[in-house]
Amino acid sequence: MKKLADVLQDWEAVIGLEIHTELTTLDTKMFCNCRLSHDDEPNTNVCPVCLGLPGALPVPNRRAIQSIVKAGLATNCEIMRHSMFYRKHYFYPDMAKNFQTTQGPVAFCMHGHLDLEVAGRGAAERPECAFGEAEAQSLASASANAVGLSTAMSDHLPEGGAARPKASSQGTYDTANLVLPERAEDGSYTVPIRILRIHMEEDAAKMVHVGGEEGRIGGATESLVDYNRCGTPLIELVTEPDLRTPEEARLFMEKLRRVFLTLGISDCSMEKGSMRCDGNVSLRRRGETKLGTKTELKNLNSFKALHDGLEYEICRQAEVLEEGGVIYQETRHWEPSRKRTVVMRVKETADDYRLFPDPDLAPFDLTDEFIDECRAEIPELPDAKRDRFCEQYGLKRADAEQIAGDPVTAEFFEQACRLAPEKAALTVGNVVVNLLPAYDALTPAQVAGISALLAGDAISFAQAREVLDAVNGTDLDPEKVVDERGMRQVSDTGALEPVVDAVLARCGEQVEQYRGGNRKVVGFLVGQCMKESRGKGNPKLFNQLLSEKLSQM
Amino acid sequence: MAPELALAAAARIDADRAAGKPLPALAGVPLAVKDNMMLTGTRTTCASRMLENYESVYTATCVQRMLDAGCLPVGKANMDEFAFGSSTESSAFHRTNNPWDLERVPGGSSGGSAAAVAAGEVTLALGSDTGGSIRQPAALCGVVGMKPTYGAVSRYGVVAFGSSLDQVGPFGRSVADVALAMNALTGPGRDPRDSTSQDCPVDFLEHLEDGVAGRRVGIVPALMDAEGLTPEVRAAVTAAAKSLEAQGAELVEVELPNLDAAIAAYYVLGPCEAFSNLARFDGVRYGYQEPGCASLAEQSSLSRAHGFGAEAKRRQMLGAWLLSSGVYEKYYLAAQKARTLITRDYAAAYEKADVILMPASPRTAFKFGEMSDPTQMYLADLYTISINIAGNGGVSVPLGLGADSGLPVSAQLVGPAFKDRDLLTFARAVERGAASADGSPALAVAPDFAGKGGELA
Amino acid sequence: MALSERDVRGIADYARVALTDEELTEMTAYMNGAITGVLEPVLQYGEADVPPTFHPIGDLSNVMAADVPEPGLSIDDALLDAPSPRDRYFRVPSILGGEE
Repeated sequence: MKKLADVLQDWEAVIGLEIHTELTTLDTKMFCNCRLSHDDEPNTNVCPVCLGLPGALPVPNRRAIQSIVKAGLATNCEIMRHSMFYRKHYFYPDMAKNFQTTQGPVAFCMHGHLDLEVAGRGAAERPECAFGEAEAQSLASASANAVGLSTAMSDHLPEGGAARPKASSQGTYDTANLVLPERAEDGSYTVPIRILRIHMEEDAAKMVHVGGEEGRIGGATESLVDYNRCGTPLIELVTEPDLRTPEEARLFMEKLRRVFLTLGISDCSMEKGSMRCDGNVSLRRRGETKLGTKTELKNLNSFKALHDGLEYEICRQAEVLEEGGVIYQETRHWEPSRKRTVVMRVKETADDYRLFPDPDLAPFDLTDEFIDECRAEIPELPDAKRDRFCEQYGLKRADAEQIAGDPVTAEFFEQACRLAPEKAALTVGNVVVNLLPAYDALTPAQVAGISALLAGDAISFAQAREVLDAVNGTDLDPEKVVDERGMRQVSDTGALEPVVDAVLARCGEQVEQYRGGNRKVVGFLVGQCMKESRGKGNPKLFNQLLSEKLSQM
Repeated sequence: MAPELALAAAARIDADRAAGKPLPALAGVPLAVKDNMMLTGTRTTCASRMLENYESVYTATCVQRMLDAGCLPVGKANMDEFAFGSSTESSAFHRTNNPWDLERVPGGSSGGSAAAVAAGEVTLALGSDTGGSIRQPAALCGVVGMKPTYGAVSRYGVVAFGSSLDQVGPFGRSVADVALAMNALTGPGRDPRDSTSQDCPVDFLEHLEDGVAGRRVGIVPALMDAEGLTPEVRAAVTAAAKSLEAQGAELVEVELPNLDAAIAAYYVLGPCEAFSNLARFDGVRYGYQEPGCASLAEQSSLSRAHGFGAEAKRRQMLGAWLLSSGVYEKYYLAAQKARTLITRDYAAAYEKADVILMPASPRTAFKFGEMSDPTQMYLADLYTISINIAGNGGVSVPLGLGADSGLPVSAQLVGPAFKDRDLLTFARAVERGAASADGSPALAVAPDFAGKGGELA
Repeated sequence: MALSERDVRGIADYARVALTDEELTEMTAYMNGAITGVLEPVLQYGEADVPPTFHPIGDLSNVMAADVPEPGLSIDDALLDAPSPRDRYFRVPSILGGEE
């Protein structure tokens, strides 16, 4: 198969995502008062409602509705005042009633967007021909036979109608208000990704397949059903197919995860399956007006799987198409171990879900008051926090993005900053990004202390690790540890000069190399100085002194 | 029968009574519960092979409230399978006879509940009404049967047929008994387990004996002249109207021009909701499971084929067709528009009248196997279904025995949504008018059963 | 247009109702009779210039419950009516069946 970079020169990949997020931070299920299960024994948290017993009736969880409204507000969606729950029928034992309660044409949240900043190596995945004039022409022509769900599905369908969401392939792809990305000098670019809708639904039960290979359904002699997860509140976000590279898809998912984590509506664990992503992808030749047939990818259960699965699928489709083959609309399973996608072997259930408004649930007419209450509970979102961190603490944008993306880390960072000297904030950021992840029990005060020491050149970065090893999980003060161990580094030029002189005298060979133009040798000489000073000399100062002396020699 | 439950409840009442504790309003009153209502300690079969051995693991709110009010749960009452029918003949287990003539049906689908009250086996019974399933058997058995406004009584724990149509209500031998039952059912307020239930904060006894002087009773001429309405029923309902007039009420003519729309909507919505509600019966979590199946699809299909009776399968098949792509768009929306039309009809009628008086059933109880003529069925539906479509309340009140058949005949009163107390005030006035001089209900226990044990003085 | 036996077979497969050939013939006749007899009359209201009514409950909306846990069923009660429980689970036969 050709490489992604080569494929994307000739083919435009059109990618849409469907992202399911369980509202794991709630206490109870979507339509009953059962506790949410995490690692409980099978069928522990079940009641007549989530077991679908005869006569049981659903009552929506208020906090779940608040959570989805917050999710919508945080992703620039329009909050729909009027909507209803629908029943989506399919016979499969993971859904206790043989229908799933979900939303109809009008979801609680519609027509949002997130702006994606794509920088670094990943930004190169989008080829030059996908910017500017060429992309504009390509978009303008994209209307017929679109992939993914589309705005057209719901724009003209008031909830009062009996209309249902159309099958995705029937929609059109509205590109009229798409903003074209511009590439900055450093290769980065920003592209808005439109969100079609976020709707509320309930999760299905877990099935254990017995007798088959690796617990897969194929070859299983029987299956066992555990309804603990059945009825867990689930929000499904559907993007417009505005993504063009696997990296953009990965970044979108990461960004959404940061937003949801900050909102506190889910633990967003892809590993545990509380955040799950399906990818729709199709190819068309650059300049082609018709969109190609899409495939749907499942089992993209990590950011890496999301990227690599889409990359593989794009390359696979290109190969098929270039050999004159046909892409079938099908669901494919990403196998990370074999790095390939395969057609799902699960028998497809009927496509006709027979959706109709759930008569057991009253409609929703969300009031301004309800929406305002939700809005008031939204904390500072990652993008705003990132910008503030850059402004307030002078952090690098990438560091600020990383810290601001995780509410726990961001809170830790700000606590440490409050305890550290003002001018050490940048160092606090540096410590939080580069050192903190290696430790499990540091306090903000300890990070503030180590940052103050680093910012004041009292210790080196390497020494900081030793200090943190010592204080992790204790209430020890980093400064005391440094003093007790006599680690404070020497930053007195007068004291370091003799060391530098001694090393230069000893290392004639390296001095010759330097003269010959090998500037890298300074690193080795700094190392020798550090050794000579038993690690206490300030490496930055050594570097400076060495450079001065060498250039004079 | 649930003797252990009834005896245990009676023992608790006796103990409280002996201890001098205050007793609830219905202390010691024998109660029958339609067999589509959950009651722990009993099976809830819906008169279907599908649920033949289904042990209730929770108790329906309506049943619990009757027990909290002191009722003794004597047993579960037979019904048409999953409430699909109007004669109780489709029960998978046995037939229920009309206590007034054992060769005749008790009506349905809550036929067992109505018959148990008429035979004096119990004083109160609970039924459910999706298209007339309380009011029609009440009429055929000569008891009072009330379908309250949709949402007045919780549906939690009642096996659903049509979720937007179903409503639970009581049967009793007098309007006062039904009022007491309504107090028990609605008194604790809306049920937090039923999203469609609403507060109904009234005391149904408070205005029960109020006069109706100066109040307006609507008569729908088209319903009184309908083809198939038997002369004896027409005569009895007309007499009831005259008696209300004699009590000072004003008779006014009102029109319900879209009754046909209501019936058309019912035939669409009923199967759609039934298909959806009965989809859960697949033999996995509960219910009949076909043994020895090699695949899930085979097990589900055979369990459903052999667990459900013919009518249950037919309704689900129609529902599955009606909800399918291309069909749904045409039929379902039309049905919901028809629903709007009949709802507006009633709203307009209630501008002119406080209640509407009409027959509950066009004729008295028919013989087993007799009712197969679709035109007759349609006529029967004409009097009951529109109330379920519009969601308002209706009550069937006995008027004595028909002049021709010698079997019970009834009138039906229907009223605006959540005016159910008002409805009972008028029902009491009708009952008073039809009663003998001593003021007792028009009809007591069916003669063959009188004095055979269940009857309380 | 009347439903064919093939159409009805498709609906029965979807609705998980096994029908013998004889039952299929009967069901097809029944459904076609019901469609023309009692279902089609509703179509005349499709063009009515009124909004649809989905719930017969007036202005009732926004019904929600607090996010407060309550005890559910014991494992014994949860499995009480299960025709074939296995340990703490509900068991179903092979989902793909003999096609494997």
